[in-house]
Amino acid sequence: MADFKINHREGEGVSVIELKGYLDAHTAPELETAFQRLLNDKKFNIIVNCRDLAYISSAGLGVFMAYIEDVRKNKGDIKLTNMSAKVYNVFDLLGFPLLYEIYKEEKEALTKFKTIQRA
Amino acid sequence: MDRIESLIMPRVKNLLLITVPPVLFLVVFVYDIVRATVNLELLWLDLTRESFIIVAFVLVYLLIERSRSNIKRATTKDIGRLLIVCAVVLSFVGVLSAFGFADTTSQENEQPRYSAMGIFLSMILAVGVGIVSIRALLTIKDLILFKRKKGTKRNYTIYVILLLGSMVFMLPFLSMESALFGTLFFSLSVLAIVANSFRQSWIVYLSRKEKIYVIVYSAFLFIAFVLLNVLFFEKTFTNKALLAFSQPLHRFTQLNAIFGAVYFGMAFVSTLFHLPTAEVFERKQYEITSLHNLSRLVTQVFDFNDLVNTVTQMTLEVCGAKSAWLELITKDGDKPPLVEVVSARYITKDRIENISTGDLRDLIIESKKYLLIDEVSADRRTRHVKERKLLKGSLLSVPLLSQGNLIGMLYAIKEFEYGFDQDDIDVLTSFADHVTIAIENSKLIAKSIERERLEQEMMVAQAMQKRLLPQGLPTSESLDMVAVSESSQEVGGDYYDFVQLSKDKVGIVVGDVSGKGVSAAFYMAEVKGIFLSLSRMCSSPKDLLIRANETLIGSLEKKAFISLIYAILDSKDGTLHIARAGHCPVIYMSGEHTELVRPSGLGLGLANGEIFERSTEERLLTLHEGDVCILYTDGVTESRDQSGEEFGYDRLVAVAQRLRKNNANEIKNSILQEVRNHIGEPTYGDDMTLVVIKWLGKQGERP
Repeated sequence: MADFKINHREGEGVSVIELKGYLDAHTAPELETAFQRLLNDKKFNIIVNCRDLAYISSAGLGVFMAYIEDVRKNKGDIKLTNMSAKVYNVFDLLGFPLLYEIYKEEKEALTKFKTIQRA
Repeated sequence: MDRIESLIMPRVKNLLLITVPPVLFLVVFVYDIVRATVNLELLWLDLTRESFIIVAFVLVYLLIERSRSNIKRATTKDIGRLLIVCAVVLSFVGVLSAFGFADTTSQENEQPRYSAMGIFLSMILAVGVGIVSIRALLTIKDLILFKRKKGTKRNYTIYVILLLGSMVFMLPFLSMESALFGTLFFSLSVLAIVANSFRQSWIVYLSRKEKIYVIVYSAFLFIAFVLLNVLFFEKTFTNKALLAFSQPLHRFTQLNAIFGAVYFGMAFVSTLFHLPTAEVFERKQYEITSLHNLSRLVTQVFDFNDLVNTVTQMTLEVCGAKSAWLELITKDGDKPPLVEVVSARYITKDRIENISTGDLRDLIIESKKYLLIDEVSADRRTRHVKERKLLKGSLLSVPLLSQGNLIGMLYAIKEFEYGFDQDDIDVLTSFADHVTIAIENSKLIAKSIERERLEQEMMVAQAMQKRLLPQGLPTSESLDMVAVSESSQEVGGDYYDFVQLSKDKVGIVVGDVSGKGVSAAFYMAEVKGIFLSLSRMCSSPKDLLIRANETLIGSLEKKAFISLIYAILDSKDGTLHIARAGHCPVIYMSGEHTELVRPSGLGLGLANGEIFERSTEERLLTLHEGDVCILYTDGVTESRDQSGEEFGYDRLVAVAQRLRKNNANEIKNSILQEVRNHIGEPTYGDDMTLVVIKWLGKQGERP
């Protein structure tokens, strides 16, 4: 049942991770690997596009928590975009909007990264 | 009775076999002495004498056959023993002939009359030669029937019949005409001898060493039997003595001596021809036994190190290599496969790393086929090997393939070039298949043992977790409260608890630890400890959450967090103070009004004190009689049906609303039932916890 896919794009100093399907305790390690690879490659400007993310469990949310500290220490950020209402609700319940920048569109997050880079 | 009989009979038989022939020979001897002095010419007495001799020899035959019954396939040794018997008897015959010749030189007439000494000597001689014949016949019989083919047994039987036939015509009562038949049978017997002498298949199965022995033995046996034949054809003492003693016996020994000479002559020649192929055959046989030894692999699957060491040892054995080693491949996700040398024989790991590396290893891994390098010192594929000039010889690598996947490689090295032939490749390849199975089995067993151990640990964690949940519920006249927690796995991440803070106040907590399994159980234990200690110190739920977060943020791992609702119910005031740490909202129903109570708040362990404190709110609900509060974990709302659709808040709220007038237990059961119906199958995707609180009114105010 739990079908999960990660697509990785690179563009203008920002790495975009697209999530698709169910992100739960079983599939969370895949996302961990993806983050770890970005960190190893010293790519700290990360956008996670959740357009096709159908479900996220607490274990899935934990993955973001595991890496945000390291990313921010390196003057980068993980920004979340394009969430469905249902997925947003899960993030929202836990209070993630207080900790992460969540945007409706990927473009907004990109612009945000660019303005910081310019500054 | 039968038992006694079966115990006694063989002994009686043995006794008969041993005692009767000497007695019979003694009778014959006495008769001969009498005849020599009295000159009896009675046919029936002669016939009785002959029959005594025949019976005696039949018994000797049986005795010898019986003594050989436990000999199995010890062909070379048997031939050796026959040679010893022959040598002893022949030298005996030689000595006797010397005596006998001296004794009979003066008596050259047709009917020799012997002295008692002469009669005794000739009888001893006849018996000796007779025993050799019988012994030779039995050995030859075993050799001929070593590998039975169509007609093997038949040809041998024909010879025996012809032999007996030619003996019958030598009986004393028969006339001269019958001698013609005797000659005919004799000639046919010789033909049968030649036909039988082609049955030499036992030679093929001898080892090289055994063949050399057989060549020597058969050469001597050939000479011995030729000598015997010479004795029979010439007018020697032996010939005369035998003819005088018993003509059928003379014929018997004569024919068998011919048989012996022809058969061992043939054996000598064919063994000589088989000698060059001995090595090949020997190796084939060795390979077969080695492959049989593969059963050893099966019994060693419980100890991986033993298993791999046996594998390399047997690799040396099956192809006669100088050194061998086994490499196994472990694959871990997307990482490049890790190749590890697990066992090596007569080669150092440094040297292995020197050889099995880089392009050569890649070549083997990619092709998944055997790789043969006939000349390591000259081959292009081994040019990376340092000091390869020192490493003269040939190398063979065979893959271990499990369902098309390469799980490892088996290497063998011979110290000379072109050391591996096609047979080696075939044998090692088939050996590799067995090794693969053994290794896979070993891994499976190790895995199942590990799984059992984990299951045991999970059982312990589960039992521990059950004890963390409250065993009873606080009771109050103004409260109707029920709680349930179901776990999808052995160990879940849900937690609920109650604590009686004072006479009127009850603290209620419902939480969910991220992740599952043993680590979740540990966090849960931690949360319980924190909750129990803080609940008595903190008067407000918000206060408790802030302090709980401070404690937890230091001890939780980065990716772990806890969502939690903490509420304090004051049954004197009829109030409920609620603070929420990232948890599912509380369903609050008062009359027609239904609300998802969701004061803002971060999950515990997500952020440090300042942000947490800033973001956490507290709600106060004033309860009216019949009001219902439902606390739950996301397992309820996130339970999915077959198509993946979640139970969701709408359904939960709908059920709650429909049943709000019922008691707490009915509400709980109905919600559980609805969730189960939604899922469709009696398994839960997640842990589920439900706490239903129904307010019955302030104490003393109720009717």
